[in-house]
Amino acid sequence: MSTQTMNSRPKNRTLSVIRMQMVNRATYLWVPILVLGGSLVVTLAIWGILASAGVEGPLYGGGAQAPLWYFAVVGVQALALTFPFSQAMSVTRREFYIGTLLTAAITSAILAVIFVLGGFVEQATDGWGLNGYFFYLPWVWETGPVGAGVVFFVIAMLFFTVGFWAATIYKRFGNVVLTGTILAIALILVGLMWLAGRLDAWGQIGAWLAAQGALGLALWGALLIAVLAGTSYLTLRRATP
Amino acid sequence: MIEEGRALFLQIAERVEDSIVDGSLPEEAKAPSTNELAAFYRINPATAAKGIAMLTDKGVLYKRRGIGMFVAAGARELLLTERRTAFAARYLDPLLAEARKIGLDADDLGRLLAERASRLDGSATDAATLTEGTAR
Amino acid sequence: MTAVIEVNSLTKRYRDTIAADNVSFTIEKDTIYGLLGRNGAGKTTVMSILTAQNFATSGDVRVFGEHPYENSKVLSRLCFVRESQKYPDDATPAHALRIARLFYPNWDQDFAERLIDDFQLPLKTRIKKLSRGQLSAVGVIIGLASRAEITFFDEPYLGLDAVARQIFYDRLLEDYARHPRTIILSSHLIDEVSNLLEHVIVIDRGRILIDDSTEALRGAAATIVGDAAAVDAFTAGREVIHREALGRVASVTVRGELTADDLARLTDAGLDVGTVSLQQLIVRLTQAAGGAIAEDATASREPSLDIESATLDKEAQR
Repeated sequence: MSTQTMNSRPKNRTLSVIRMQMVNRATYLWVPILVLGGSLVVTLAIWGILASAGVEGPLYGGGAQAPLWYFAVVGVQALALTFPFSQAMSVTRREFYIGTLLTAAITSAILAVIFVLGGFVEQATDGWGLNGYFFYLPWVWETGPVGAGVVFFVIAMLFFTVGFWAATIYKRFGNVVLTGTILAIALILVGLMWLAGRLDAWGQIGAWLAAQGALGLALWGALLIAVLAGTSYLTLRRATP
Repeated sequence: MIEEGRALFLQIAERVEDSIVDGSLPEEAKAPSTNELAAFYRINPATAAKGIAMLTDKGVLYKRRGIGMFVAAGARELLLTERRTAFAARYLDPLLAEARKIGLDADDLGRLLAERASRLDGSATDAATLTEGTAR
Repeated sequence: MTAVIEVNSLTKRYRDTIAADNVSFTIEKDTIYGLLGRNGAGKTTVMSILTAQNFATSGDVRVFGEHPYENSKVLSRLCFVRESQKYPDDATPAHALRIARLFYPNWDQDFAERLIDDFQLPLKTRIKKLSRGQLSAVGVIIGLASRAEITFFDEPYLGLDAVARQIFYDRLLEDYARHPRTIILSSHLIDEVSNLLEHVIVIDRGRILIDDSTEALRGAAATIVGDAAAVDAFTAGREVIHREALGRVASVTVRGELTADDLARLTDAGLDVGTVSLQQLIVRLTQAAGGAIAEDATASREPSLDIESATLDKEAQR
C-alpha cells in the first residue's frame, strides 16, 4: 500500500457537511437577505405612497415572510441536489442530515437576528418615519426581542423543514406518495376544521390561540419541526441518491 | 503494436528480449523498470511486472537490490539459443505449409532460399561499407 | 493478497426485474478491475450497493471486512463517481473540487490542478452549463485526485472524446503506478481499457459471466476460418461460442487454448487461425449466454471460464 500521509487531524465530517452546504454562499445567505431586503424596499415604497396620500395610523407589512418561501425551496434543493452529491462524497446519511439541519439552523438564526435588529431600528425610527412596521409586529414582539427572535427562528426552520421533508418523501417514495401524503394531510386539516365548525368550537380555539401567544405557538411549531425532521430522517435512511 | 489475443506480459517480455538480441540493450545494462514499461506501452504495471518476473525466472534479467533490474551476463546467448531452437517451429513450419499450398516443393524452396540469401548478403555488404554499425 | 471487498450471494430485486442475481465475487487490494457488461447489465447497481448508496435485497457485502452502510470509517476510504452525477444547484467545478477536498482524506490538490489543466476544465462556469465532456471531466478529476483506497469509476468518461479518454487512461496508470490502490472501472468500451485491467468481471443480466485475470482471458479463445467442412471437423467436440458462414467459408470461434498439435493440424487442413480480443471474447460469450438463456429458460447456465495454467508453458514453447 502506498505510504500516503493521512491528514494528521481528521476533519469532523458533519461539520464538513455544513461547509459543503455553505460553499455556495449565495444559496443560504445572500439570496434570503436579498429577498428580505427587496421585500422591505418595496414595502417602504408602498408606505411612502400611502403616507403622502395622507394615510396615518400604524401600517403593518407582512413582507418579512418573503424570504421564508425561498427558504422552503432551499430545503427542497438541499435534499434534491446536495444529497446525491454528498453520497458521491462518501458522506453517510446521518452526517448529511445533521449537517444540513445545522446549516439551516445557522441560517435561520442569522435571519432571526436580522429580524430582531430590524425591529429595533423600527422602534427607534418610529416605523421608518412612516409609522410602518415590517419587523416590529406587536403580536410577535409580545414577549420581547428574544421571544420575537425565537418566533422568527422557528418559522424559518419550519419552512425549511417542510421543504426538506417533502423532498425526502419524494426521493424515497416518488411523486405519487408525496402528492398522496399532502392530500391526506390537507384532508385531515379540512376535516378538523369542519369538526370545529360542527362543534361550534371556533371561539374556544381562538381563545386558546390568543392565550398561547406568538411564543407559545412557536413552541408548538418547534414540535412540528421535530416531527417532520424525525420523519425525514427515517425516510432518508433508506433513500437512494 | 500490441497483439490482441496473446498474453500481454509475454509480449512485453518479448520486446525486452528483442532489444537484448539486437544489441540495443547490452548485458549488465539497466533494464527498463516496471513503471517505465507500463507507461510506455500504456498497460497495467502488474502486467509489466509479470513480464519482468518471467524474464528474471528465465535468467535473462537479475535484480540488484535497491537499484533495479539488470540484464544478466550471457542473456543474449541464452536468447539466441532459445530462438534458434524455436526457429524451425515458428518460421519453417508455416513456410512449408504455405509452400505446399501453392505448389512449391523442397527443391524449389532450397533454390529460392539460396537466391534470396545471396541477395541479402550482397546488400548487407553494401550497407556495411556505408554505415559504421555492425550488421550482425 | 488481501481481499478488500467480499460479496456473497448478492441479490437486488426491483418490482419486476432482477438487477443482481446471486452475485458473488472478491476484490483484492491494489488491483485494477474491469467491471464489464452491457448497459443495464447490473454494473451500476452492484457498485451502488458496495458503496451503500443502494441496498441489497439479500446477500452479504463486506468492505474492509465491515458493512458499508452508514459506516463513516469505511465510506471515507471509498470514492464512487457516477455517470451523470448530480451536483448542488449553481455549483461550479471549483465548488465541487473544494468540497471533495473536505471529504477525501487522501485528496491531492496539486494532482487535481494538473488534471484541471489536462482536461481544460473551466472552473468558474456553472456545472449545469458545462458540456457533456466537461461534466465527465469533473467526475474523473474527483475520482483520480481523491486517491481513495477503493475508487470506482462508473463510466464517467462516457462524455469524453477519444483524446480526453486517453488522457484519463494515461493519468490513471501513471498515478496508479505511483500510488497503488484498488480501482474498479466499469465500461462497455472493452478494448480501450483492456490493457489497463488486471482482472475482469463480466456481468450479464445481473449474473457473473466471467471472473478471471485479463492475462488468462487473452488467448482464451481462437477463431478458425476456412472451408466450412474442415472447420466443423476441427471444432467438433470443442466449445463453440460463435459461428458465421458465408457460402462455403465458415468462421468459428472456439473456447480453449490451441496446442502446438492443434496448430499443426490447422495448418495441414489449410485453415487460418485468428486471435480473439478481450472485447470479442466477452461479446461472443455474452451472446452465447443470451442464446442459452433464451433456449432454456428453466436451467440457469452459468458458463464459467476455467483456463488451465498450461497457458504459460504452451506460449513459452512457441
